[in-house]
Amino acid sequence: MEYASKHGDGIAFRTLTLQQLKDIHSASCRILDEVGVIVHHDEAADLLKKGGAYIDSKGRTHIPEALIKRALHSAPSRITLYNRLGEPVIWMEKSNVHFGAGSDTLVYLDPFTGERRDWTTEEVATAIRVVDALPQLDFVMSMGLLSDVDKRMINRIQYALMLKNSVKPQVVIAEDAPTVADITEMAAAAVGGREKLKNMPHFVLYCEPTSPLQLPFESVDKLLYAAENKIPVNFACGAVEGASTPVTVAGAVAQANAEALCGLVLHQLKNPGAPFLYGFGGSPLDMRTMVACYAVPEVLLLQGCVCDLSRFYSLPSWGYAGCSSSKDFDEQAIAEATMFTVMGALQGCNLMHDVFYIESGRTGSLELLVLMDEVISRARHILKGVNTTPEYLAVDAVKRVGPGGNYLGDAHTAKHFREKWQPTLSDFSTYSSWEAAGAKSMRERIRERLRSIMQEHKPVPLAPEVEEKIDAVIKQAKDRLGI
Amino acid sequence: MASIKDLTEFVIQADIEKVKETTAALLAAGEDPLKIINEGLIPGINEVGERFKEGNLFVPEMMMSAQAMKAGVDLAKEKIEGADIPNAGTIVIGTVAGDLHDIGKNLVSMMLDSSGFNVVDLGVDVPADKFIAAVKEHKPSIVGLSALLTTTMPAMKEVIDALKESNLRDQVKVVIGGAPVSQAYADEIGADGYAPDAALAVELCKKIA
Repeated sequence: MEYASKHGDGIAFRTLTLQQLKDIHSASCRILDEVGVIVHHDEAADLLKKGGAYIDSKGRTHIPEALIKRALHSAPSRITLYNRLGEPVIWMEKSNVHFGAGSDTLVYLDPFTGERRDWTTEEVATAIRVVDALPQLDFVMSMGLLSDVDKRMINRIQYALMLKNSVKPQVVIAEDAPTVADITEMAAAAVGGREKLKNMPHFVLYCEPTSPLQLPFESVDKLLYAAENKIPVNFACGAVEGASTPVTVAGAVAQANAEALCGLVLHQLKNPGAPFLYGFGGSPLDMRTMVACYAVPEVLLLQGCVCDLSRFYSLPSWGYAGCSSSKDFDEQAIAEATMFTVMGALQGCNLMHDVFYIESGRTGSLELLVLMDEVISRARHILKGVNTTPEYLAVDAVKRVGPGGNYLGDAHTAKHFREKWQPTLSDFSTYSSWEAAGAKSMRERIRERLRSIMQEHKPVPLAPEVEEKIDAVIKQAKDRLGI
Repeated sequence: MASIKDLTEFVIQADIEKVKETTAALLAAGEDPLKIINEGLIPGINEVGERFKEGNLFVPEMMMSAQAMKAGVDLAKEKIEGADIPNAGTIVIGTVAGDLHDIGKNLVSMMLDSSGFNVVDLGVDVPADKFIAAVKEHKPSIVGLSALLTTTMPAMKEVIDALKESNLRDQVKVVIGGAPVSQAYADEIGADGYAPDAALAVELCKKIA
């Protein structure tokens, strides 16, 4: 159980045995050594070659195990993320769990009318404020793809919206390294300078290989930029099992792990000791409809492998929670998202994203987001485990109350009942009092909560001069791109 | 000896070795290669298509049957001189410039191929001029464009513009697909069709070819 998750007071969860971890690692090393990868980036290819990789006559880069060992040795095993106010709020290591929303959904599911439409800038800003307000969500992402701005500016404007509407750290998608540079500039303005940002990171950059086994130019360019500037970064394949990776869970993990390790090798060659976040996800192809599905049982198993591997490698872990392949905020969405959230918590995944995704990531549901806030709270309570000290075993209380007594009037109950989990949305009243209060369904209560957040929540504002700096970065980018 | 009827069953079973053996034996016995294709092999893949539609068969099984059929067709073709090999139409397909994603495009290619289309797959990161050259060379009825990245979607329009400039636009239908692509985007850039998944892409191509 050495690499199992370990939570409060005895809670542990394991997906793989030590032997299985070694078998997967070995399979991934064989893939990098015997099959190799295609690197579409000259500097990266050069770094790998100088580091000891072999480039064959077909242009494939073969990576020896020694390079992987060296990278695993130099990469830090923990990363702290800071909020916009400079406070440490996310500790990625061991079995710590953190949750956040997702990025770039195509469709906004209006929580009040049920209408599906493209996201506007105003709706994305509102959605980010909702994430800012929800206490169980630890970081923000860009929520939706902006339909009302020039395509080349989407990532930059999304980032400005995140900074203006939330203090929480972010996970960022960017189309290329110049976009990351502008995002870094905006983040530096918000937290108090480049040097501070470098040492107290406020955002994580999301990069991915193109599976199977290709390193596209933009991804690698961003990865190297992140290494150089000590921006925490992942290299997370989104496996489409049966298409971009083998169809079996173990096969998908072996290949995606090879891709992540390959990213790590390159990243550590560029700047040894720079922070790297390990992880990947899966969405197996449904072989009847050819749709890549989120949150199916195999994906939860895959994430269990990711988490155990991350502890085996002593790297912080990246994953998913609170998402679904359902088309609506319905019973399927709740079943899948809840299951993923509870499993992710047990697995001890350090940074879980996509809470609020439905339709396998194409649509965003704020109702699901609000519901998951309470589900996460339930899950976090479970992770505290069971306290078995004498005070909690309560033999003295049992003696006091004795056979046939009632604990309601005992001091032990009064002392500890507040430690019990409390709902923010769920209703524990009697039928008659629930009926008297309007017989509101969970869905109605969720909408009420959303409405009140949207009307009342005011995120900690940026200083006016910081807002100006952010707007100036946006303006300069527009000028550069001729928009 | 196995008959033409048996060939149909071997295609359904995706038994590539038996398809090859039987086709070779039938050809050696002097059977008409076109008859082998039209009455033995193609009815097999049609039946597979029917079973897939009914939900009794999955895409990987369909792919294996298509490979079995092609192995037979390749053997039969060697014996056909001059005659046209029947197909459902030619399509030139590729992932547009700047985009390396080919899973979705490959799925569509494989499924079109399995449905009897002659597919010319140009691969990934295909610039507009390469599409133009392929249209001139292969004279397809359809051009299929794929993009996964929002940033490469504009390259789809560039291909359509290039087709117009080369006076080829009215000779082909342009269909587009990919995760961020929509019917609205197809309308916006003047494409002839859009399909949200690979199975519907095949239906679309059959309809407009």
